[in-house]
Amino acid sequence: MAATLDPVTTKTNYLNALKSAIDEEMGRNPDMICLGEDIGILGGAFGVTEGLQAKYGTHRVMDMPISEAAIVGVSCGAALGGKTVMAEMQFIDFISCGFDQIVNMLATYHYRTAGEVAMNVVIRGPAGAYGGGALYHSQMNEAWFCQSPGLRVVVPSTPYDAKGLMKAALRDPNPVIFYEIKQLYRLSDIAEELPEEDYIVPLGQAAIRRAGTDLTLISYGQNVYHCLDAAKKLEDEGMQVEVIDLRSLVPLDEATILESIKKTNRALVVNEAPRTCGFAGELVARINELAFEHLDAPPLRLTRMDTPVPWAKALENFVLPQVDDIVSTARRLIRY
Amino acid sequence: METKTLTPPKSGSGSGRKSKAEPQSTTKPSDLLTPEDCLEMLKQLYLARYFDVRLIKEKRRGRLTGTLYSSHNQEAILVGSLYGLNGTDWISPIHRDMPAFFIKDLRAGWDNPDRLGMSIGEVCAQVWCRSGSPGRARDNWSHIGSKSKRIVHSTSMLAGTIPVAAGVVLADRLNGGDAVVLTYNGEGSTAQGVFHEAINFAAVHKLPVITIVENNMWAYGTPVELECPTEDVATRAAGYGIPGLIADGQDVFDVYDKVMVAVEHARAGKGPSIVECKTFRAYGHGDHDDDRAARYRTKEDVESGRSRDPIAICKIHLVNKGYLTKAEAKKYMAENKHATQTSDEDFPPDVVSYMSKGIEFALASPPPPAEEGAMWVFREEN
Ligand SMILES: Cc1ncc(C[n+]2csc(CCOP(=O)(O)OP(=O)(O)O)c2C)c(N)n1
Ligand SMILES: [Mg+2]
Repeated sequence: MAATLDPVTTKTNYLNALKSAIDEEMGRNPDMICLGEDIGILGGAFGVTEGLQAKYGTHRVMDMPISEAAIVGVSCGAALGGKTVMAEMQFIDFISCGFDQIVNMLATYHYRTAGEVAMNVVIRGPAGAYGGGALYHSQMNEAWFCQSPGLRVVVPSTPYDAKGLMKAALRDPNPVIFYEIKQLYRLSDIAEELPEEDYIVPLGQAAIRRAGTDLTLISYGQNVYHCLDAAKKLEDEGMQVEVIDLRSLVPLDEATILESIKKTNRALVVNEAPRTCGFAGELVARINELAFEHLDAPPLRLTRMDTPVPWAKALENFVLPQVDDIVSTARRLIRY
Repeated sequence: METKTLTPPKSGSGSGRKSKAEPQSTTKPSDLLTPEDCLEMLKQLYLARYFDVRLIKEKRRGRLTGTLYSSHNQEAILVGSLYGLNGTDWISPIHRDMPAFFIKDLRAGWDNPDRLGMSIGEVCAQVWCRSGSPGRARDNWSHIGSKSKRIVHSTSMLAGTIPVAAGVVLADRLNGGDAVVLTYNGEGSTAQGVFHEAINFAAVHKLPVITIVENNMWAYGTPVELECPTEDVATRAAGYGIPGLIADGQDVFDVYDKVMVAVEHARAGKGPSIVECKTFRAYGHGDHDDDRAARYRTKEDVESGRSRDPIAICKIHLVNKGYLTKAEAKKYMAENKHATQTSDEDFPPDVVSYMSKGIEFALASPPPPAEEGAMWVFREEN
């Protein structure tokens, strides 16, 4: 993933795709507000909300004190009061400071009120490793929230999806935890032309990024690109690998996974989150439940080791799944 | 104003942000209450007490499940704080505040179906774990709320609803409303980080968030001095540049006075206040804790803590004001009794029948059907 930064282009990068989604939704929904640390005057640590406060005012784009619990709790209250809320976590790693408000307040609101109160809240923030961000600027902690019924969990990997999923999330009456992959924010290689007209990418629909017959690689976020790179290498060796980008984890597109495995009879999940109780483990379990009779080999997962994400490049590379790991595991599975 | 106890930092070295003293006035908000108001407040005290003693008795007879967190001896805080609110104001009660759900906007008429408070029947349906509960018995006891009645839905997470309360009045302000929100918290809960985080935010934006601290000296088995490093919780307000007021939690009119000062301050756009109400927890933390509480608290402490019954104190005021004769004051003697020592004759008959009708409503309501357990995890459409 060699990055050439910001060439002059009509293509939209991942970050600007997100920005335009939030901007357009602010424009079409006067009841929408944005809350977060440094999102107004500064425009966000990465610039996702740049210009929004000038355009929509300090009442709709609020700089919050450094309190993730207050950001999430106030979002719940504003949603109770009828607002749609975009709440930014400066880094998704810091979401743990608002954890109680998310899993006990936000996630359960609709359930415990027997449907009386919807929480139109999107909590979004930069996530993901492979960038030297070290322990507290690298996390993918999506499994915490996939295990909290009532939350939708979304991880886009392309600018098109980033925009379409963000719009869908902001229109969804349920709370959404939205993982933005910061390594992709300004990656010009993946910048693309986006439709002029309004569009959404519905939550719960996976995308097949590459068709193949010999093995299904399942991933999301940055790992999609690792899988595509691995698929190219395997093609050179005569193997055709299918690559599924889940895009949304909750709800999960089981049908696309099942259809793919019916064709390939083999599955490998690739995930940068730690192994134990990660979403990869959930996917392997689902594959067993859904598609056991179609499998010619055990469904496997390639994940980060059960470690935090270390800083030094050699250490980080060591604990995270790499393209070569995918290639060798895929070979093994195909020859199984 | 005699009632307004602003609490500046003791050192007096704090710069800049001190609130300006209000012009002195001898009229307290409660001086403007009519005789009818005052008698109504007494009746609401009886109702809160009767709700509690009736539930204690029902629980002892094995008719209820879950834990009962008694508000006995703390009713003046609920009645006094709620009485001056508009129906459109929000409240955010917690475990010990169950009467608040139906006392909210009760002034608009006990049988007024349009008042912005829950019906006592709905609250009883919740306690009896029936589908007629506003939350359809999905979470237990005090964990209910109502968007339409403007009651923030409570959870178990102590202090966790304060930021939600701040958010809901933020939304109201953005919509041009002038609602305030009263949040209720025990003194133990003030040790939570989110207590600070939410009040700090509300103070920055001058949001109308009034934090009532029911300081009943105990947080489960832990005395106040192991929860709070200061004599008063209210002094913490100085750290946010907001008023910190202290009320006698046994005196419904003193609570009313202090809360109304905070409400006016908030409604005028001047921001939050903390109102600490000094009181004493009558029984164990919950009814499961009664036996152990009898060991970790001394008999003398409990007796002195319960020696100022809010119903008795309210009556003294009403007699002094001439709104109640001494004979009338002796007619219903609910005060200074353990719940189990009271009988229905200790309460006005209309209070008893109001609660009894609530229970009838609850008992007529079926338990929720099992399959509802899997419903409403997500909302399917907008
Ligand atoms: C976050 C959290 N931690 C612990 C508890 C368990 N708990 C419930 S009530 C309580 C004591 C609360 O004391 P206080 O805030 O003084 O309120 P009181 O019960 O005295 O009215 C405790 C520890 C809880 N419900 N929530
Ligand atoms: Mg207490």
